[in-house]
Amino acid sequence: MSFAVNGEEVELYISPNRTLLEVLREELELTGTKESCGEGVCGSCTVLCDGVPLRSCLTLALEMEGREITTVEGLGEQGRPDPIQQSFIDHGAVQCGFCTPGMLMSVKGLLKRNPTPNEEEIRRGISGNICRCTGYAKIVEAVTAVTTGSGRNATGS
Amino acid sequence: MIIPEFEYVAPGNLQEALDCLASHGVEAVLLAGGTDLLVRMKQRLVKPRLVVSLKNLEGLRDIKEENGEIVIGAMTPLVEVLESERVGKHLPALRQAMGKIGAPSIQHFRGTIGGNLCLNTRCLFYNQSQFWRSGRTPCHKDNGQTCYAEENSDRCRSANLSDGACALMALSCEVVLASCRGERVLLVEEFFTGKGESPFAIEPDELVLEIRVPMPGEGAGSSFQKISYRSAIDFALVSAAVSVRVMDGQFEEVRISVGGAGAAPLLLKEAAATLYGKPFNDDEAIEATSDLAKKHASAFMVENLGSCLEYRQKMIRILVRRALKEAIVVATG
Repeated sequence: MSFAVNGEEVELYISPNRTLLEVLREELELTGTKESCGEGVCGSCTVLCDGVPLRSCLTLALEMEGREITTVEGLGEQGRPDPIQQSFIDHGAVQCGFCTPGMLMSVKGLLKRNPTPNEEEIRRGISGNICRCTGYAKIVEAVTAVTTGSGRNATGS
Repeated sequence: MIIPEFEYVAPGNLQEALDCLASHGVEAVLLAGGTDLLVRMKQRLVKPRLVVSLKNLEGLRDIKEENGEIVIGAMTPLVEVLESERVGKHLPALRQAMGKIGAPSIQHFRGTIGGNLCLNTRCLFYNQSQFWRSGRTPCHKDNGQTCYAEENSDRCRSANLSDGACALMALSCEVVLASCRGERVLLVEEFFTGKGESPFAIEPDELVLEIRVPMPGEGAGSSFQKISYRSAIDFALVSAAVSVRVMDGQFEEVRISVGGAGAAPLLLKEAAATLYGKPFNDDEAIEATSDLAKKHASAFMVENLGSCLEYRQKMIRILVRRALKEAIVVATG
């Protein structure tokens, strides 16, 4: 199969029972995307497929033939984080950090569809992502800062 | 969790998919969005030899108006139904139901309306990992002889938890099935068997092609209500959908369906009939109907979802009343 990951064309030979998550982590060594529940409940494994969020643990890799996947590694570069990432750092929206890659991708997907969500829309946008440290307030603050441009490094996304 | 091995095909068009089902139907499963199927495969609740991916059937991804009906292709993603102007305007109950399924990352692009309609019945004692289930003898749904939800039950007591199915039951839709032998149209009441072991009247060589919902006429309104632990992701503990038609200030048509109770969304005809001819602002009649709905639906319910049965039963009255009131507001403007 072939598909694009973070802008790079990838060609792989894999067995049909591999999920997108396994392929990302084990074949492509993009371990930023996390597995937690493996049943689509927690949202840790969220990646973007053609710009919309999906759960990579509930997606067969073969279903992604010809698609464009963005993982957390594709968000920013070393030393030059995405505005959402910078805002998460500025607002202390990261506690243990395990849910963060999924949160970032869900937020990225939300802002692509709706660049100026209100608080309720933000909460709904990340409603599929569980933060077991329960640090939701900071996360919502961080996202609000990106959308209102009040973050330190807010350049819009 | 690793998924056991299987063969995979992605037919290029509908005919190829039907041919494939005709020759491998019994040992094949259809993959639409996969948000439920993959979990079931991980838990070894389905062990298909062949997975038939429907991802190339672009023709089934469509919402249109035809002969006074709104026709929704089975592969239409939930979010497209949710955001469809046509659905929002004419079928508010369906729009509400779509918005309550899973989370945005499940609705967007992955989950489909056909998949939601065909959501298999669930039970606390069945939808568990292989390890969890290995400690007990298999239940009816697992081809066994035991029921853990209800002692000495001779059949499976799992519940239909599809929000879409509950709404579509109230909206009185038709389900179009296709196979190599041709197409057939089932009323939504006929689509569900009411049996936990085999909840759908689909033959192994058939697939759901589209869903046709009659365009509600003048004075129609509908509403869907759901209770779950969390607003995102969780399945319903119980849900209710109502569609009404109010003419000259009186109820002319009422359909009430309750989800999360039986193996099919329950269509409560007797409870609905008590409203016919009553003025739409008759609060006493609405209370009495909600009470009756609770009584009738409760008979189908068992302790199978990990939430107190009595609470779920009580909530039916609340949800039916809420749905009725909201549907009336829609209908009377």
